[in-house]
Parts: sequence; structure tokens; C-alpha cells
Amino acid sequence: MSNPARGGPLQGVRVVELTRVWAGPFGGKLLAYLGAEVIRVESLGALDPSRGYGRAKINQAPGFQAVNPQKLSVQIDIKSGQGRALLLGLLGKSDVLLENLRPGAIERLGLGYEAVKAVKPDIVYVSMGMYGNEGPLAYQTGYAPSFVALGGVTFLVGYEGEPPTGMNIRYGDATFGTAAAFAAVVALMHRRRTGAGQFVDVSAVETMSSMIGDAIMDFTLNGTVRVCDGNRHPEMAPHGVYPCRGGDWISIAVSSDQGWKELADLIGEPGLAEHPRFRSHADRKANETELDRLIAAWSARHDARELAAALQKRGVAAAKSQNSIDLTSDQHLWARQFYRAVTDSAGQSRPIVGPGWKMSEGAAITSAAPRLGEHNAYVLGDILGLSAEQQQKLADAGVTR
Amino acid sequence: MRHFGAPGSGDEVSALNAFRVLELSESVSGEYCGKLLSDFGADVIKIERPARGSPTRRLGPFGGNPDAESGERSGLFAYLNTNKSSVTLDISTPAGSATLARLLSCVDAVIDDHAPGWLASVGIDPETFADQHPQLVLCSITAYGQDAPEERRHAEDLNVFHSSGWGYHTPTAPDASKPPLKGAGRFLASYEAGLEAAMCVVAALYGREDSKRGRFIDVSKQEVLASRVDYVLGQLVAGDMDATTKRTVFDLWGPATIFACRDGYVYLWLSERGHWAAMRQLMGNPEWMDSFPERWMELECTPERVAKCRQEFGAFLQTRDREEVSAQAQQLGLPLVPVKNAGDLQSSPQYIYRQFFAEVDHPVLGRAAYPTVPYKLSATPARITAPAPLLGQHTQARLAAMLTEAEGLKEHHS
Repeated sequence: MSNPARGGPLQGVRVVELTRVWAGPFGGKLLAYLGAEVIRVESLGALDPSRGYGRAKINQAPGFQAVNPQKLSVQIDIKSGQGRALLLGLLGKSDVLLENLRPGAIERLGLGYEAVKAVKPDIVYVSMGMYGNEGPLAYQTGYAPSFVALGGVTFLVGYEGEPPTGMNIRYGDATFGTAAAFAAVVALMHRRRTGAGQFVDVSAVETMSSMIGDAIMDFTLNGTVRVCDGNRHPEMAPHGVYPCRGGDWISIAVSSDQGWKELADLIGEPGLAEHPRFRSHADRKANETELDRLIAAWSARHDARELAAALQKRGVAAAKSQNSIDLTSDQHLWARQFYRAVTDSAGQSRPIVGPGWKMSEGAAITSAAPRLGEHNAYVLGDILGLSAEQQQKLADAGVTR
Repeated sequence: MRHFGAPGSGDEVSALNAFRVLELSESVSGEYCGKLLSDFGADVIKIERPARGSPTRRLGPFGGNPDAESGERSGLFAYLNTNKSSVTLDISTPAGSATLARLLSCVDAVIDDHAPGWLASVGIDPETFADQHPQLVLCSITAYGQDAPEERRHAEDLNVFHSSGWGYHTPTAPDASKPPLKGAGRFLASYEAGLEAAMCVVAALYGREDSKRGRFIDVSKQEVLASRVDYVLGQLVAGDMDATTKRTVFDLWGPATIFACRDGYVYLWLSERGHWAAMRQLMGNPEWMDSFPERWMELECTPERVAKCRQEFGAFLQTRDREEVSAQAQQLGLPLVPVKNAGDLQSSPQYIYRQFFAEVDHPVLGRAAYPTVPYKLSATPARITAPAPLLGQHTQARLAAMLTEAEGLKEHHS
């Protein structure tokens, strides 16, 4: 059974995903959230490993479910000749192919750009690789923390005067997937206006570098290599994360002298706002360690949320550093439907993480991640036009399951 | 086979050159969004306030001759505004906002990154603009969305990073006595949101090709960042993982971490048997490894073993150079990589091959190699064909012409 019309700007676009784990599936998820029909082509013999993490049952793996809502799944053994032919048939009726298999794997399957172009000349073919699809280091593979390190991001995260710590270990895949999704949409636009498809080659390492473009410009222009500096910011002081009651933390960023005056008034120490060591931005930068110590001694006596509210009232940028309880119970995120309930194939409701945007006439997002092969009948029957008998034969031969 | 064209191949096709975008943004997220579009050929007109221009002109890093006009020396502005036109217009005055209103007739999209309420204050009310301009795509980027509650009116990227969940959980395996961190650099949240916004704008323009209808897009930086950890957050919100106050909720088990080498740092990933075997080879089959079960990482990953493994590997690396030992490890199948800094990237053979850096000649900053974009489109590659504009550089050439064009369109429609 197919999806009903969901609306959204990419309604009518069909995407085939040959993706694994996180980055590729994330890119596909964004396209699905924008209204595209996204079909995961999966096979039991070469299963996305994320279907196997955490649960014995492949249809219940929680990580997989988190990243693959609103997609369809067809199970085809693409290593068999018949299976490959089915996939090429599907690609002939699709607009985008998104893949993040290991370097060279897609060519070994006989599904490189030229092969797909032969059946679908205007395909938008998006290939994701740690270092991109071509070049002297394209053979290298790595996990997200590897490309975050290679792209220059890790080096910039850490405490002042200490070795870098890097971002949280989960950072990188989703950003990489977003870069691929953006490039896919641009290529779709080009095709819409000219009729021509193209090959899109996305690099994870370069995606990371594009998240620190201004730091790279500092080297380009001045030869300056920026190093990790804790929570400091050259244009703001104070700019930090301070302890609060009960083991909580608050982030505070002051971008003007007026902001400092408001913060100092709230701290309430007589003469602090006008103290010569902190009066101007330059003063505060020069005495930042002392400033941070003073703020931390004060904030530690307060509740993070109350303090943030008091600072906001005075126009100072502040927010509680949200732990995972705060994050999942954030009422604003529920109210905006960032978190929303979808329905799985058994009719059960399941909360998911929605898109980072709201959009007028956006696409409906209603379905949980698919069971393996949940949409075989739709893909093989409705799209490829195979009779029930033909589908049964393929299933009996083990090409589909 | 090389699928993407070399520079000077004469291929001047651009994916977005049919579109004109009005950029009202004055900070990094919206300017980065505009750059992602202008580098694909979109005609991005940046509206700047007279005299001072965009506030990003006052943010570092600065380059060029210190005696030059200070508003033209920002490397940040130069990076974020390639290929754009600069038109000065004071939209805070009634005359200026009237002019802005007329310009809306001859643009396809508007990008803004001011706080909620600002757009309506300059006459572009997200609730009603479509009545006058049904084909316009209007994109707003804010910290918490247009409907931000009172207690979230003021936010810098640091605050958004910390309300999104990333902050509290950065770094991995934290020292509990030290504060959680801000993430990389100054603007990570803005770059993430700018990328998301660019994707939404092009998607909306794509949908408009058939529907002839524009859209309002409301990008929330908090949501964009939180969505970047959907693999974990989806499990937390669905109850598959327990939400707690621990700073390690996002972490993974195992010995993967950063190590010091003689000349810098490396990042080791180690999660399966093959990696372990490769490490054994790299280290010359040391005796201590024999006391570990072959599949200890998958099945018996105790803190003691992780500590021992890190200690021994760390000692091994102290006398090695990061590039050389990483290359050896990669050959053996061990995912070990150098931790690169911003200065290492230009000499990467892969970056050179893919031409990640593009030379740009700026009238004040001179020639310099700018980082570009991480995707290569074979038929319509992103290109930097013009440096960031000087303040008001295109006011004369563009403003009157656009107003005339808008007038013509209006007559055409009436």
C-alpha cells in the first residue's frame, strides 16, 4: 500500500536509499520530512547494522526506528541478478538515489552512476563517503568521530590549555546527512529546470570543516591556528557555563556592557557593575578567569531555571544546560511538534523527533520506521507492476522476502 | 573516473541562477544560508544598513591592511558573503520599509535571522505576507522559533547549544568537576541552522515550480541542533533509553578516544575484532594483549580493560608522529586518524584533489584560499565567482533597476 499524499515541497519526488547506520538514513529522513517518498532498499543478507543494535528483533531496533520514520522498506537481495534488475527497474521510476555504502561497494554491486544512468538518464545520484567518492584518500573509512577529527572540529573543543576533548562522540553523522540532502534538493531543482540529472559527491570530512569556516579563514588570512579555549568567545565576556544548585549548569553569554550591568545588578554585589576590572569588554576579557570564578560562586547558590528566567527578564542571553530529562520534557519542543506521535505498522503510537523547521503547508509526518520489507507489495506491485504471481515467484526464489 | 569538472572547464551552469533572494539577515546563520544559495548561482541581494552595514563586518578574524576601512576587513564577512550584492537601505525608516515592500514583488525568496517580531516590524508579517505575495518563500531563522516563549527571548549560539542537549553532553566522558563545553568555535549552531534553512528554501522553491505558491519557513536553531542527535534523542523520547541527569547519556562504551602523539593528536576508533587484530599488528603483537579475550569490545568491555588498552596504546603513540602512524594503522584496517587543525587542511591531498579551497581576490583582504562547500555536483558545481561585496557596492546598479522591474511586474499583474 502506498502512502497517501502527504503534501510538502518535495511531494511527487521518489528517493531510493541504499544507506546504512546514521548519516545516509538521516539525509533520507530529511527528504521524507520535506514530502518525498523515500524507499529503503534492504536485504536480510546485507542488513543495515543499525537494525541489529539493541534488540534481537530487527523490526524493533530503537536506533533504527529513531532515524527512519516516514520511510518505506522493500526487501530485495540486490546481490542476485534478479534482485539487481528489480532495483534498476525501481531506479528507472525514481528521482534520487542516496547511498552511503563503503567506498567502492556500490560499483561492485553493479550500481555505479553509469549503470544507473543507463536506466534513468536524469537520475540525481548522491554518493556519500567519509572523504568523498574520488581522490587519493577516498578509500579510507571511518566513523563519525574520525571525520569530526579529520575535518578540524575536534581540535577546537576542549578546556583552555589542555589537550582537545572533541565534541560528544555522537556528533557528525546527522550534519553530514544534511549536507547530502541539501545537495540533492539543489540537483533536483537543476533537473526540474533543465531536465538533466547529475552525480553528487559529498564528503563527511569537508562537511565538518564547513562547520568551522571562520576558524579556517583565520588561518587563511593570518596564519593563526585557533586552539580550544574552554567556553570562551573573543567577542563576548562573560561567556560560559556555570554551576547551579543540584548539579545543574547554566549557560550565560554577555555581548554588551549593558548586559554586563544587568548581570552584575542581579549578582547584587555593591560596585560590581562599575568595577574597573570588569567595566568594559576589554576589562572583562583581561580578567576573565576572575570573572568566571565570581559568577560561578554566585550561580552555584541558585536554581538554573530560575536564574535563566531572571537573566532573560533583564535581556541577558541565558539558558539552562539541558540534561536528557529536561530535553525530553521541554514543553516548547512538544508545543511546536518537534516531538510528535506517529503510528507504526501494528497501529501503535510512537513519539519521534521531527524536523528542525516548521513550514506552511508542510508535509504530513505520520508513520514510524518501516518493518523490513513492509512495503514489498507497494513497490513490486504498484510501482513495478508485477502481478501477485510474479511477486510470489520472486519471494519463493529468495530474491524478495 | 572524475565526475566533477575542473576549474576553467568552461562549464558555467548554475543550479540556482534563475532565483533572486533578498537577504535581510545580519548574523551568521542567515548570511551562511544566503551564501550556500549564492554559491550555487542564486542572485542574493544583501540589504545592509547605511554607514555601518552588517554587524558581521565588525567580527573577526580580520585581515588586510590595518589602515583600511574597518568594515571591509572582516574575514568572517568575506567568507559568509561571497557572490552576493550589497545594497544599502535603511529599512527602519518608513521610506525604507516602503522601498523594501516594493522589492518583495521582484524576488523569489527572503532570508532573515532577526528575533521573532522583527520581520513584522519592517512590514513583512509572517502571518499575512502571502496575501500580497503568494509566490514568495520567506525563511526565518531564530534561536527557538517564531513562537519562542518569554523566558527564551535572548540567546546566543552558546545558549542554544546548551538548550539543545549537545552542551550538557559535551565532551564525551566528562570530568564532572569541569563545566560542559560550548562546542567547536563560535558559530556551530548558526552554521547548522543556515544549512538547514538553505535546504528548506530550495525545497520550497522546488515545490513552487508546480504549485506557484510560496511558503513561510520557521527554522529553530534549538530544534536543528536537537535533531542532529535524533539517533539518541529518538530513543529517549520513545522510552527506549532512560532519560537521566547523567552527562554520559549520549556516550558509547569502549576505548575510542583522543591520544597524544609526538607531534599532535590522533583519534582512535576501536569497536570490533578486526580493529583489535589490526592494532595488534600495528603494535608488534605486545604481550599485554594476550590477556584480553578476542571479542572483549563487544562482550566484555570492562572499565579496567578500557583503561589498560588506552594506557598501553598511549605509551606506544608517544614516540610516533600522527600522520605516519595513522597511515600505517589505516593500511592495517585500524581506524586511526590525525586530529587536524584549521592549518592542516589546506595541505590535505584529498582537499587539494577535491579543490575544497578556492582562491578569492578581495579588494581589501587580497588573495586568499577560502574554504568552500562539502558537495561536488558534477553538472552544477558551487563556485565563488565574486568576493564579498563592499558595503553598498551594488546600491546604485541594483536598487533602482529592481524597483523599476517591480513596478513593471505590478502593472503586469494588475
